[in-house]
Amino acid sequence: MKKTEKARFSWKKITESRLFFPIIALFLILLFDFIFIPGFFNIEARDGNLRGSLIDIARNGSTVMLLAIGMTLVIATGGIDLSVGAVMAIAASVAGILMNPSALKNEVFFVTDPMYTFQPLWLVIGAALIVAILCGLWNGFLVAYLRIQPMVATLILMIAGRGIAQLITNGLRVQITYRPYAFIGQGWFIVPFSLYIVAFVFAATWLLTRKTAIGMFIESVGINFRSSFFSGIDQKKIKMLVYVVCGFCAGIAGLIASSNIKTSDSNNIGLTTELDAILAVVIGGTAMAGGRFSLLASLIGALVMQAITQSMYAIGVPAFALQAIKSVVVILVILLYSKQVRGFIGMIGTRKEETGL
Amino acid sequence: MSEPTQYLLQMEGISKAFPGVQALDDVSFFLKKGEIHCLVGENGAGKSTLIKVLTGVDQPDRGKILLDGKEVHPKSPIDAQLLGISTVFQEINLCINLTVAENILLGHEPHIAGRIDWKKMNALATDTLKRLLGVEIDVTKTLDSYTVAIQQMVAIARALYVSSAKILILDEPTSSLDIHETEQLFKVMTKLKNEGVGIIFITHFIGQIFQISDRITVLRNGKLVGTFETSDITRVGLISKMIGRSLAEFDEMSKIKKESSKHIKSEKLLQANDLGLTGAMRPFNLDLHAGEVVGFAGLLGSGRTETASILFGVEKPDSGSITFDGELVLDYSPLGSIKRGIALCPEDRKGAGIVDDLTVRENIVLAMQANKGWFKYLSLPEQYEIADKYIKLLNIATPSPDQLVKNLSGGNQQKVILARWLATQPQLLILDEPTRGIDVGTKAEIQKLVLVLAEEGKACVFISSELDEVLRTSHRIIVLREREKIAEFPGDVDETTIIHAIAGSES
Amino acid sequence: MKRTIQDFFKNNRKLIPLWSTAFLAIAAYLIGAYFFVGMRNPQVFLNLFRNSSYLLISAIGMTFVIITGGIDLSVAGVVALTTVSSAVLLREGLDPWLVITLMLLMGMVLGAIMGSFITYLKVQPFIATLAGLWFTRGMCFFISDNAVNIDNPVFQILGKTKILIPGLMEWSIKQGKSAPYITIPVVVGFLLLGVAIFMAHFTRFGRTIYAIGGNEGRNEQSARLMGLPVDRTKMLVYTFNGLCSALAGLSFSVFVFSGHGLYAPGMELDVIASVVMGGTMLTGGSGYVFGTLFGVLVLAVTQALIQFIGSLSSWWTKIVIGALTLIFIGVQTILKNRKESRQGVQPSKAVEAARKNRQRLLLGIGALVIGVVAIVVVVAKFWPSSPGETPASTQCDVKPFREAEAAALIKEGAAIVYHRTAGPECVDHLFAIFPDGRVTGSDGVNNFEKQNTPADVERLLTAISVEHNWFTNDIYSTYLNPCRQCYAHYIVVSFNGQEKAATGVDGTTAMPPGYAFALAEIRPFLPVIPLAQK
Repeated sequence: MKKTEKARFSWKKITESRLFFPIIALFLILLFDFIFIPGFFNIEARDGNLRGSLIDIARNGSTVMLLAIGMTLVIATGGIDLSVGAVMAIAASVAGILMNPSALKNEVFFVTDPMYTFQPLWLVIGAALIVAILCGLWNGFLVAYLRIQPMVATLILMIAGRGIAQLITNGLRVQITYRPYAFIGQGWFIVPFSLYIVAFVFAATWLLTRKTAIGMFIESVGINFRSSFFSGIDQKKIKMLVYVVCGFCAGIAGLIASSNIKTSDSNNIGLTTELDAILAVVIGGTAMAGGRFSLLASLIGALVMQAITQSMYAIGVPAFALQAIKSVVVILVILLYSKQVRGFIGMIGTRKEETGL
Repeated sequence: MSEPTQYLLQMEGISKAFPGVQALDDVSFFLKKGEIHCLVGENGAGKSTLIKVLTGVDQPDRGKILLDGKEVHPKSPIDAQLLGISTVFQEINLCINLTVAENILLGHEPHIAGRIDWKKMNALATDTLKRLLGVEIDVTKTLDSYTVAIQQMVAIARALYVSSAKILILDEPTSSLDIHETEQLFKVMTKLKNEGVGIIFITHFIGQIFQISDRITVLRNGKLVGTFETSDITRVGLISKMIGRSLAEFDEMSKIKKESSKHIKSEKLLQANDLGLTGAMRPFNLDLHAGEVVGFAGLLGSGRTETASILFGVEKPDSGSITFDGELVLDYSPLGSIKRGIALCPEDRKGAGIVDDLTVRENIVLAMQANKGWFKYLSLPEQYEIADKYIKLLNIATPSPDQLVKNLSGGNQQKVILARWLATQPQLLILDEPTRGIDVGTKAEIQKLVLVLAEEGKACVFISSELDEVLRTSHRIIVLREREKIAEFPGDVDETTIIHAIAGSES
Repeated sequence: MKRTIQDFFKNNRKLIPLWSTAFLAIAAYLIGAYFFVGMRNPQVFLNLFRNSSYLLISAIGMTFVIITGGIDLSVAGVVALTTVSSAVLLREGLDPWLVITLMLLMGMVLGAIMGSFITYLKVQPFIATLAGLWFTRGMCFFISDNAVNIDNPVFQILGKTKILIPGLMEWSIKQGKSAPYITIPVVVGFLLLGVAIFMAHFTRFGRTIYAIGGNEGRNEQSARLMGLPVDRTKMLVYTFNGLCSALAGLSFSVFVFSGHGLYAPGMELDVIASVVMGGTMLTGGSGYVFGTLFGVLVLAVTQALIQFIGSLSSWWTKIVIGALTLIFIGVQTILKNRKESRQGVQPSKAVEAARKNRQRLLLGIGALVIGVVAIVVVVAKFWPSSPGETPASTQCDVKPFREAEAAALIKEGAAIVYHRTAGPECVDHLFAIFPDGRVTGSDGVNNFEKQNTPADVERLLTAISVEHNWFTNDIYSTYLNPCRQCYAHYIVVSFNGQEKAATGVDGTTAMPPGYAFALAEIRPFLPVIPLAQK
């Protein structure tokens, strides 16, 4: 019997790696920026912090990156979570109202002291995250135990979620003036603080999925849940877990977003971000039907999305025309990843025969 | 060249191979006008492949098909339909949310003044069902409000009315029918036969074969065993053609078996009392001992897989109980069974076995890992060690443990699944058709392995439709027929006795 | 009596969701009419149709899409694109009927493109139509950044014509109220409904649509084997939906008399909710176009009730709709799961179980409907109602930016022109800051002034252009549909030979920080405009 072969350097290995397409995409965009946008790659240090367009891409993309982490796991089980934008809004509302409950009395109370907060920071953040986890539990329950289609189940929270967020803040935009909270989204510590958050969540999720059996189980359930069932995997619990993680990530993203604009704006926070997150995961190569996933590839996918956005702004494309461009990108990416096109490219390499029977 | 021929359909020298397995090897099949011809064979015999070739789903590697003497090459099911070959599958290929009339006539419905003439359509459908099939039902109800038996009638009606079928293929039509519905179906089939339609009837119910068919063709392991006039063959004769011992000499297996029977423990590892599930298995008793190989013999549909499912906890029984290792089983689930030390290598390799996009290594450690739970993760070196061990032990042909399982041949996939279950160190290992669709060499390996495992102190259940396998490996044989356990024999029973038991009281 | 009702429902089990929605809509309205005198005015009832005619038209097309088991998220984008395109084309002087034809063609083409992606390139409908949504909304802004008014007389007629209801006319004149009416889009909606019902039940096309959906894709396979033109039908369904979306867009145009890329935000969700509540399952294969009418009605009644209650804000609508959708989907799924598990049992047992299930189902749906109506009653009773008349709409009608006036003011010498709209009081204030220190403000009715020093203005301009980089790429236009508390801004700065305009909306991460700072600098200069007296 042959011994296990050591991995050798080969073109095949590189092109078949999950990271190949996303990195190429990122490379192409940065190339475009390098040629067409002067000064794009400038990074300067101001007051001990790094600033520049590249840093902006990372910073502005931190919410999408966070969402992409959670969304990757959900999509890997063959599901989808459309409610992440709404959960962001809900988390932001909870945080806002805990710092400044005057909204409940129907006042728009302008707090002038930047160190004032009604509840301590740990409670604010903790409560917001707990509510986000509850949203994830709700979604998970609908999908795993009631066996409602994921698209349909999360659609419910997507519709009702913003209403719930409004309910929490009694319909008002709550101003956030508490400076430590604002640090979440706007703080810099050499690089923007939100990047540390992203890195932390990424590391934690990576540990959770790759250093425990959870990652393997998620992939197994996504590929063939009946075989997984026969092998003793409890797919209900796995599905529950991924929706909770997704909700949690959405909660953190909501905190960052609201801290960025210093408001908990239930109408606009997270609007259309679920779509960006899904697209990031798709660019990252995780199939919508479920199966193998790569968190890193999804992060790169998110960066690709953000880089496109930033580059378009930089060359003067108006904000919403960007949507049209993104839609073309979606279709191109889908087609590129589709079986037909992939098969065509694969013909250049060796073909694997399908087993019959 | 077209010559006058008595045959409606001639399939000559059909061969079809898939990677790793020769599904059909030089098979010929002839169908006359106005006859009911049964096509029989166990799973893996090649029946479904032959039908797929006939209906254009697959293209044969060699051989030709002649319809009324003219050569045809159906490239798709629609092609076949246009040629007059229609199939009624067990899973009805109709739209169950539409009405009966629509299912019969949609695509050819009558119109009046630019819109569908419902009145006429309903009348036409009612008339067709009555005239062609002798069936009278309300055609305005949706198809899913009727039983499978009626749905089949509707499917047949469409085949006849819309497609003017010359050849009607009925694939296991009686599996979901009760006695009266089966009678009804047979009446219809006789009527059609008398009108010149050629009917290919695929079934595993021996009694029905003898009740209704004119001729029988037996396939086995991709080869044609023979075509017989129904009146010229007995039940026992037929069964032995299907599963009886091929003319191979005795091998060393029987010696190993005799040796290993010394290791059988006397206390019961598993005891099933009156265990049953309505619709799957009638209540039965079963004892299993460590060190023993118990074989299940019986035809397709006798309930072998269902029994395995119940023992493993995939299905919850609604009567009786299981005691395992002295304890009463309360939680029926695969995970519960694994924790207790029961393993099931399922018959449905693709649907319940492999996770095709995972690697060999991952597939092998999957159940073992599920047993350990989420957080006690086997480290990668440990996983590779386990994978390598079983790759070696079972001789799995794969360039590396990181090869995706979907790229392996069927036989090696089976070995990977086997490895998975062996890795859980079970006390009871249930193997459901472990050698189906596998090359001869590997078959022998696996049979030998089963005996070795028994020697090591495990209890094994060996389920196979190949009787000689069961005889070769089992210390005890249980015979199942039509969802019921009907007999138990010691391992050295002779083949004829078993075949008689399977055949039933008529000989 | 009970027997016949039971029998009716037994034979028409699939109609139950439809009738329960109808019952819900009517019951809710009647309860509302009990508590709020204003709702007893037949005009209020007719207005339900008037306000939601575009929703109905779009939902009819969506019903067919969902019956095939697909979905179309792009409808709102097509609606918006239609409003903007038609507004601009009319502004350029094109014949209104030509515009209408072009819009319908455009809708069909967009639908056909997405349909071909879904049918031939096997892209999932969700993704393909999502891309369509982004694309169409994006294209709106290529055409026009701001809202464009429609003052074409034909469109005005189409929108404003009141079609009186015979019979009700005399009755209301006796009451001293004005005759109740409906508008042309309502008629169009009902006509389309009739056409759709005909298509669904009397054409091969319609029956093929039903054949494709449901049963987890197995029906589609069966339909192909039956020789039905599955691919062609799918393409046509999406094309038809595109047509309906465009028609809905036109209805919307003649309702608000303007076009903007931000109109109908989130409408796709309302459409889907209507279709679901009308009895169509999202998995496809079953559903009634007629039911969609009631689904739309439920949405309209919910909106009306909430408006009448007054103290609740319009966002409650979203919660209620979400809850109702959940209930319907939940019931649908439970029914489906029940059916599937039943099929494993022996036939004779299945029949018995089926009868019991149907009884339980009947009771369940009945209880559910009563429960929901009860909730509505409690809500209505619990919150004190405003003296029963329709309050001024709590939805703000955001005015388009007065770009032309601003340009004129700049020509007259203004250094900064600032137009502010929306906000909690739904304002429409136009300010101009002149280099001599004079600041004017107008709310369209009255003019106000405030005097600052020229030096102040100089300082302001420097701050804006230097500190906040007004004339660099740091400042760019962003726009979103303003939230209830948010203002929308339009600022033009003319300084040192440079002139630049930019829009913004409060509370978005997209707005550049410099913009917000510039606003903060401008605000102290402005005269206070008191709220308009009602």
